[in-house]
Amino acid sequence: MKQFDAVVIGSGPGGYVCAIRLAQLGKKTAIIEREFLGGVCLNVGCIPSKALIYASSQYWKIKNDFGEMGLESKSTQMDIAKLQAWKSGVVNKLTSGVGNLLKMNGAEIIRGEARFVGPKSLEVKTKAGTEKISAHDFVIATGSRVSEIPFLKTNGKNIITSTEALALAEVPERFVVVGGGFIGLEIGTLYAKLGSRVTIVEAMDQLLPSTDKELVTVVEKRLKVFGVTVMVQTKVVSLEEKEPLKAKSLRLTVEGVTGGKKAIEADCILVSVGRKPNSDGAGLETIGVKLDPRGNVITDQQGKTNVPSVWAIGDVTGPPQLAHRAMMDGLLVAAGINGEKSYRDYKTVPWVVFSDPEIAACGYSEKELVERGVKYKVGRFPFAASGRALSTSETDGFMKVLIDEKNEAILGVHIVGHEASNLIAEATLAIEMGATAEDIIRTIHSHPTLPEAFPESIEAALGKAIHIFKPASRKPV
Amino acid sequence: MDFKLPDIGEGVHEGEITKWLVKTGDQVTADQPMVEIMTDKATVEIPSPVAGTVESLFAKEGQTVPVGTVIIKISEGGRAAPAPAPKDEKPATAPAEKPSAPPAAKKTQPSSPPTPVTQPQSTVATRATEREVSPAAERQVEVESTAHVLATPATRKLARDLDVNIGGLTGTGQHGRVTKEDVQLAYETHQAASPRTSHPAPSQALSVPGAAKQQPVTKGALQRIPLRGIRKKISEAMAHSKHTAAHFTYVEEVDMTEVVKLRASVAEEAKRRNTKLTYLPFIIKGLIPALVEFPFLNSALDDEKQEVVLKGDYNMGIATDTEQGLMVPVIKQADRKSIWELAAEITELSEKVRAGKAAIDDLRGGTFTLTNAGSIGGVFATPIINHPEVAILGVNAIRKRPVVKDDQIVIRDMMYLSLSVDHRVVDGADAARFMNRLVFFLSEPTRLVFA
Repeated sequence: MKQFDAVVIGSGPGGYVCAIRLAQLGKKTAIIEREFLGGVCLNVGCIPSKALIYASSQYWKIKNDFGEMGLESKSTQMDIAKLQAWKSGVVNKLTSGVGNLLKMNGAEIIRGEARFVGPKSLEVKTKAGTEKISAHDFVIATGSRVSEIPFLKTNGKNIITSTEALALAEVPERFVVVGGGFIGLEIGTLYAKLGSRVTIVEAMDQLLPSTDKELVTVVEKRLKVFGVTVMVQTKVVSLEEKEPLKAKSLRLTVEGVTGGKKAIEADCILVSVGRKPNSDGAGLETIGVKLDPRGNVITDQQGKTNVPSVWAIGDVTGPPQLAHRAMMDGLLVAAGINGEKSYRDYKTVPWVVFSDPEIAACGYSEKELVERGVKYKVGRFPFAASGRALSTSETDGFMKVLIDEKNEAILGVHIVGHEASNLIAEATLAIEMGATAEDIIRTIHSHPTLPEAFPESIEAALGKAIHIFKPASRKPV
Repeated sequence: MDFKLPDIGEGVHEGEITKWLVKTGDQVTADQPMVEIMTDKATVEIPSPVAGTVESLFAKEGQTVPVGTVIIKISEGGRAAPAPAPKDEKPATAPAEKPSAPPAAKKTQPSSPPTPVTQPQSTVATRATEREVSPAAERQVEVESTAHVLATPATRKLARDLDVNIGGLTGTGQHGRVTKEDVQLAYETHQAASPRTSHPAPSQALSVPGAAKQQPVTKGALQRIPLRGIRKKISEAMAHSKHTAAHFTYVEEVDMTEVVKLRASVAEEAKRRNTKLTYLPFIIKGLIPALVEFPFLNSALDDEKQEVVLKGDYNMGIATDTEQGLMVPVIKQADRKSIWELAAEITELSEKVRAGKAAIDDLRGGTFTLTNAGSIGGVFATPIINHPEVAILGVNAIRKRPVVKDDQIVIRDMMYLSLSVDHRVVDGADAARFMNRLVFFLSEPTRLVFA
């Protein structure tokens, strides 16, 4: 039996970060991976999707937007095979990087499927056979997988999950996305830009449910430009495979909330209705690890499960299912295993949607502040007033800040616009640091850049913005 | 009804909420303990004045609130408290666990020196229980979210590491920002009050956060220690005196050889009486006739009325160095006491004060103060007047020095006397004359027989 101080199950962004840190702390560490190093994020999630989204956006711009700058390029062709190869290259670079980092830090990589046989021991089914491993601490970092709709079983060909959607060999003509969350929106937009006719079907009353409606509206407007049909408050009720009509053709029947069924023809259907935790199959029930009704492993603020010696991080512990949250969990739990007083006590987990334009937010939403009875001020800065946005022809969207009326602390920042994904970092830092309006205003932001929107929107909240005019008598928009 | 932090003892202006014993929505019965308050004197439980439902708490644990601040709102309801009567926990009938000092006039007399600290036991006990619940080694723990706290991640981490409830701290930064120093201080205050602390005796004795002089010092770390309790009183009293009185210090030397001889001659007697006989009783004996002769040195200036109050009594304040800080117990009617009585009383009072057991009456009513700087070292000190008294005598070290006497260089037991006086009341010439008189008696103590 192999013995370790700590064993991490799963090598996604939470797992590999945790294992590297554990090894750095001098723990004899192993990491078990059944599929590919780097998990969903590196292989079939964040990284490949961002590569394709970037490429599709450039393609779209070249064909549609650059003309106004006098750049004509009617002959631009897309070679999807080459695009996919480039994407795979990016993924490979990163995953082999993760493997090297683990090795160089001294963590042992064990490839196989892990299953707990006791609170301090597990079996790993490897190619060579079954290996028994014991350790003082275990970290469950098994992540999540795509949720399914019973009558819409994915087949990997024309009814697919995000995994296949990021590896398509050709651009489908009619692409239907079931589920208007961030994955559906991102991939739907990507294929629309590459030429598909895209329909997004969402059961809730807006795309990106729980996102500030004000932000989503900007994206919805832009989706029209890409020719995307958005059907909200609409449910998928049945699927019909119509072989004779056209090869690979699918007919999806949807029903609006007010009734009224409608059929949508599709060549390819992406099912993106959320993800569920991989809390089954690893023998968690054998050792009595408690799960919530949705199957998420229940952890405390240190990442401990109810079983001493077993910790859990990332998607398997429930929302927010975000790589960066899992990474932070990994660091926290590694410190916890090292005996440090380590807690999830961050004020906010920022989140980003790589839509067009991008959406990013951190801190409280207006809705949450109202619910909590916190008095706040709102300030907005439209990118149309930003010199940088204008000079890159990316003027859609705005930044919105929420400030505590009492002490002027930054409570929430919501951005829709080009580079929102990068802009949110400063806002997140501001919130974590407990920055107040004055702190941001007094920090010089270089010009001309998009981050100037941050102090500007705060000035707007305080009623003294320089670059947007608002008559004093008028109520803030 | 809104319930204010009551007057919980003479001279207590503020209290720290150490623990809420009720929470919003709780049913309370009259006299049910609802909050623990730590003052610079003691920790007390404040009972609910009425039966009803707790509507809201207006102060956080760890917060220091002035007397008279509304701390809790209780809606008086006829509803009886549900089943488990909180009575059996601790029947609290008195409004407060009284500190040993008897209650006295509400308005603090500026003349009363810092009041002593009473037994810190209750504080210590509370802290100990708190500590026991917090660190759970293996089991899942739920900790309070710190999302609402205005503090950087590093500060929050420090609070976690030190087991400091950052949510309960009042930050000293802008907008109430909690700084690393605030956390460090809260931790050290806690440590000082905790019986489990690894610091040896001196810091254990500290229950008053303001007693800065013996705070454990973390090398290299910036620390901010709030002025509280006795330290705060000393600071206020000293600054007030310095700002108010027109200080000048007059220094004279006195040949104490005869006093030294006299004292040595009664050493056996002192042993027999089991009395510690220092030079102070002799100096007091010399002071009395001088003060009788110069009554303005035994007076007080009433700043408000612009009157000099000549005191009929001769009550000698003895500045005493304690772990909590400077305290001034008073020997009442020193003019009517023998050397032995004075010696015994000085010993008794200083022990009481150092043990934190002095009653408020032991510390008030002084008419003149002596400070014995010489017991530690130095040539002479320039003492600060114990305002509103007008004079303080610095008693310095007796050292053998060569002096010229009758044109001979001889070795004598010499001492400097440094007298600080409020020039508003006493001029330099009078101070010098007074000093001459004192020297007259001390250099030849037999003269006291005729005084």
